[in-house]
Amino acid sequence: MLQVNDVHAGYGNLKILRGVDMSISDGGIVTLLGGNGTGKSTLLKAISGLIPLMKGQITFDGLDISKLKPHERVRLGIVQVTQAKEAYPAMSVEENLVLGAYTRKDREAIKVDLERVYDFFPVLRERRKQMSGTLSGGEVQMLVIGRGMMAKPKMLMLDEPSAALAPKVVLEIFANINRIAKSGVTILIVEQNVRMALILAQYGYIIRDGIILIEGNADMLIKDPAVKESFLGGSVADVSRGLNKK
Amino acid sequence: MAFDLNSLLAFIIFGVTIGVVYGIVALGISLIYSGLDIVHFAHGEMYMFGAFFGLVLAENVGLPYPVALVGAMIITAVVGMLVERVFYRRLTRAGGGYTVAGMGMIICGFGMSVAMVNVAYFIWGAEAEPFRANLDYIPRLQFPGDIEVPESYVLTAIISVILMFTLHYFLRYTKPGLAVRAVAHNKDIAYLMGINVPLMISLIFGVACALAAAAGVLIGPMQSVQVEMGYLMLMKAFAAAVVGGFGSLPGAIIGGIMVGVFENLGAAYISASHKDIYAFLLLILVLMIKPSGLFGVEAKVKA
Ligand SMILES: Nc1ncnc2c1ncn2[C@@H]1O[C@H](COP(=O)(O)OP(=O)(O)OP(=O)(O)O)[C@@H](O)[C@H]1O
Ligand SMILES: [Mg+2]
Repeated sequence: MLQVNDVHAGYGNLKILRGVDMSISDGGIVTLLGGNGTGKSTLLKAISGLIPLMKGQITFDGLDISKLKPHERVRLGIVQVTQAKEAYPAMSVEENLVLGAYTRKDREAIKVDLERVYDFFPVLRERRKQMSGTLSGGEVQMLVIGRGMMAKPKMLMLDEPSAALAPKVVLEIFANINRIAKSGVTILIVEQNVRMALILAQYGYIIRDGIILIEGNADMLIKDPAVKESFLGGSVADVSRGLNKK
Repeated sequence: MAFDLNSLLAFIIFGVTIGVVYGIVALGISLIYSGLDIVHFAHGEMYMFGAFFGLVLAENVGLPYPVALVGAMIITAVVGMLVERVFYRRLTRAGGGYTVAGMGMIICGFGMSVAMVNVAYFIWGAEAEPFRANLDYIPRLQFPGDIEVPESYVLTAIISVILMFTLHYFLRYTKPGLAVRAVAHNKDIAYLMGINVPLMISLIFGVACALAAAAGVLIGPMQSVQVEMGYLMLMKAFAAAVVGGFGSLPGAIIGGIMVGVFENLGAAYISASHKDIYAFLLLILVLMIKPSGLFGVEAKVKA
């Protein structure tokens, strides 16, 4: 589905990504892990088109999208939810969600999808008329994920959806990410919460200093001594149990 | 001058009408500011160009005044969009972008203002042109106490109200309006929502310049059309925008009305020869009491 070939990108003259290769196939959840400032968000921005490539190529469903503008990539089904958790504060929850469907013309299906988002995140239904500026951090995270769903993505990229949220909320959000994936949307998720991400995902990439250091199946990465050493602490079992309960 | 209630009322009515026109120009400045994070210093020249286009369409082409007004709005919108695409947008690529950091944009705006004045000299000359619009079909308004409001003022009031409500409806209830608001808040997020951000930026510019043109065509018959007219209008509209709270659209209109009324009263009761100072007096007064302006939202700070 998505091929990233030798991608170099950054900001102005500052090069952050120094030859990233990635290959994501249809369906399932892929996670992108790495320490702070290693280029995770930068890679997502290169894929969504918010920053131009200095070198390399990105193809989606066989189509070279390297030169396309972000809104054109959205139309192809590539949707990014940014790390900034930014909703439009002066618009209601529902207006935000409807804006997520901006590129779509199928009004009836949009209504169905709106109900689906409300089923996934019932608190959003309760707050549908509320200005999104008044939401809590967890609610905003649900809103921006829901807004991403409204675009009817083929691939949904999530940038640290668990950041700064209470464990209970994180579990709810992860369970819903799993549901979105089950419905046939490919997910690329950036996480700091490495254990949970590797439990959720089937495949993982680890990035350091703008290049992919290790990649592999999630159950393999979680046992990898190098990964364990640099990222993992605590027990995998706790989280596993938490996720399964949902 | 002896004080009497009727003339006070008259000054207020004229002040409000002129003020609404300041407000309309300020609306465009605010729209560009909230959408693109730049203060457009060549906006007075868009107003001047609009006035000339209206004049040419009405006098030389012979179109009825309302048609000339719409025509001038469209032509000026196109000119504005071209200027933005060809000159301003290049600068945004150099970094700083449409952000407060883009100091280059401010300088470019000033340069554009000078360039447009010179282009206008070249085309229309330095003479002030009277704008004799045929407005016989518009009724004059009679107020008690012998106050008569001329047609051009009545028309200005009507058209201004139409423009304000149209803009409000557009931003509030239409899909491109929603997209414009999204772009104004955050361009990256808007992009990721599938909004064609460059197109919306053009649209914002076009609408803002069309509003300036409308103001020019409305002021034309009251005063005259002249190459240097943009500078003072920019200053007044700027004062209006700041008084109302920079970036606030309702604030721009209210600020405009306040400037217009204040200026008329000052001219009537203090001294008419310093008419153009009162706007800035009001500006300073308001800023002393409420630095963010009357309807100011807190200053935008962008990362
Ligand atoms: N807009 C920008 N302009 C210049 N440099 C930037 C910009 N955004 C990020 N950077 C730099 O690029 C590098 C990589 O940033 P990036 O946001 O991709 O990191 P990250 O892996 O997502 O980190 P985190 O886990 O903290 O989100 C950092 O050194 C950062 O300072
Ligand atoms: Mg990041």
